[in-house]
Amino acid sequence: MKSPLPIRILKAILIVLISLSILFPLAWMAIAGFKGKTEVLRDPFQFFPDVWRWQNYADIAADPQFVRAILITFIGALAFTALALVVNSMAAYAFARLEFTGKRLWWIYFIIPMFVPAMAILLTSFQVVTALGMLDTLAVLIIPGAASAAQMFFLRQFYLNFPVAVEEAALIDGASRFQIFLRVFLPQSIAPFVVMGMGSYLAYWNAYVWPVLTITNPDLTQIMQFLGNFRSDRGNDWGLLMAGSTLAALPTILLVLIFQRYIVNGVRIAGMK
Amino acid sequence: MSTTDMALPGPLLQQEVPIAPTGRRRRRRNPPTAKHLRSNVTAYLMIAPMGILLAIFVIWPLIYAVYLSLFKINFYKPAEFVGLQFYLYVLQSEKFWKSIGVGLYYVVLTVPAGLVISLLVASFIKTLSKKAAGWMKTTVYIPAAISTVVASVLFVFIYQDQGFANWFLGLVNLGPVNWLNDPSLALPAIAVPGIWLGFGVTTLIMLAGLLDIPDSYYESAELDGANWFQRTWFITIPLLKNVSLYLLVTGVVAAIQMLDLPLIMTNGGPVDATTTPNLFIFNSFRDGTPYATSFSLTAALLLFVVLGTISAVIFRLINSDKAVDG
Repeated sequence: MKSPLPIRILKAILIVLISLSILFPLAWMAIAGFKGKTEVLRDPFQFFPDVWRWQNYADIAADPQFVRAILITFIGALAFTALALVVNSMAAYAFARLEFTGKRLWWIYFIIPMFVPAMAILLTSFQVVTALGMLDTLAVLIIPGAASAAQMFFLRQFYLNFPVAVEEAALIDGASRFQIFLRVFLPQSIAPFVVMGMGSYLAYWNAYVWPVLTITNPDLTQIMQFLGNFRSDRGNDWGLLMAGSTLAALPTILLVLIFQRYIVNGVRIAGMK
Repeated sequence: MSTTDMALPGPLLQQEVPIAPTGRRRRRRNPPTAKHLRSNVTAYLMIAPMGILLAIFVIWPLIYAVYLSLFKINFYKPAEFVGLQFYLYVLQSEKFWKSIGVGLYYVVLTVPAGLVISLLVASFIKTLSKKAAGWMKTTVYIPAAISTVVASVLFVFIYQDQGFANWFLGLVNLGPVNWLNDPSLALPAIAVPGIWLGFGVTTLIMLAGLLDIPDSYYESAELDGANWFQRTWFITIPLLKNVSLYLLVTGVVAAIQMLDLPLIMTNGGPVDATTTPNLFIFNSFRDGTPYATSFSLTAALLLFVVLGTISAVIFRLINSDKAVDG
């Protein structure tokens, strides 16, 4: 069913307007990165730089601390995502497919953390990681947040809907429950893993408060921590700061673009019955 | 727990997962299994890693926090049991209530606006062709991937005296305004990036809810001569009730916990106008004196009891309900 022409034009205009207003702040940030110190906040106001100069981007990309922060955050985010998926998907499978003693009670224990706000345990978690000697190591960023009740809950919903027949066939063939998890369930889990993995990756990449509390070693500074420090130390150099922010946001935007198909369907899986 | 992207910064990096209640719950529990199919050893081995991590980094800190809130810590003397005294102090503290007020104001500024925008955008996306809808869905999701730090820095830039926001006001002969230094404007100014970061995920969940409403309902309403507003009011909104309720509650719970934006944009100022409850608690933590520590710990626990109960109740309701199909 095709709509009449005027309506289609109206929709096209709306699409452009909505997209522009959503993406404008990001475009504004990237454009400011091209402006020199004197023109970035000039009166009279102007949209575009006099000359498109790459200097800010080149400067920030040549800052060894910035590059280091990007790399170390990337490595940490990958490790965090992998650990989270392994730990949470195993528990999700057990709760979806296995029968064991005390399952109902364990379920309550595993789901309670979903309702504990981070702030309520911020101080005592800090004391725990201090006592464990984890301060100023990558482990303090990777391990404490890996177990996620929400992620486990989501994966369990997904596994609950798996056809039982395949599993029974494998059982008759003498496969163990764990083998079934590895060979039957995991290969089918790409879509929810991408959605959940993105969530983990973004949470790690964008984290600020926890790294600020636990990391003081400049070699381990995380990217958002770097940006926060940059703003307090050199906050008036807006062009450079905007260039740095653009480069720090770029990897996450690329991730969304690469996996857009999964995200859009992911919400459907998430909303699955 | 909640859906909006106002991700808890938190120690536990808990990512926010969109678990929208868009449908009927498939089954309450697994079908009864014969004894010989029980697999205790495998099951315990599979839940152990997560269970241990939760014990060390969530359950223990929680128990320990409750314990600490009942004692007065002193550097020179052994800790003294004071019972619920700190809870009383918190409940009598003017600054605490003021921060709750700021938090509620932030909720009022962000949540209803976010829901309305999401509903409008989602309804619009629903009418689009597949290709255009794909583009719009990706576009609305992009801000959700942006960190609160980047958004904070970016909007501070936009709110500069010669920045974009004042230029925009100038177009209609208003301003310039000192956005982040005016106590009456600072929180609304912070709410804008708050909405921007959060509405994408809300829109996608809302859209999933909309797509679950059978087309036939609209068709028969149209045959009966219902116009767009009547269809929205009598079909869409009632059938989106559960999704909206879910988004409303998770949105409120997430918004009242906002920490990063005011922390980076204003650090609570001017004159505490943007000190949200979590920023109030966080600043007391940083204070470092034993009294401030116990005080803020107790405040955090009080919030946890209220917010945790609300989320748990709504979670229970939605997971036991027949959801939207009704």
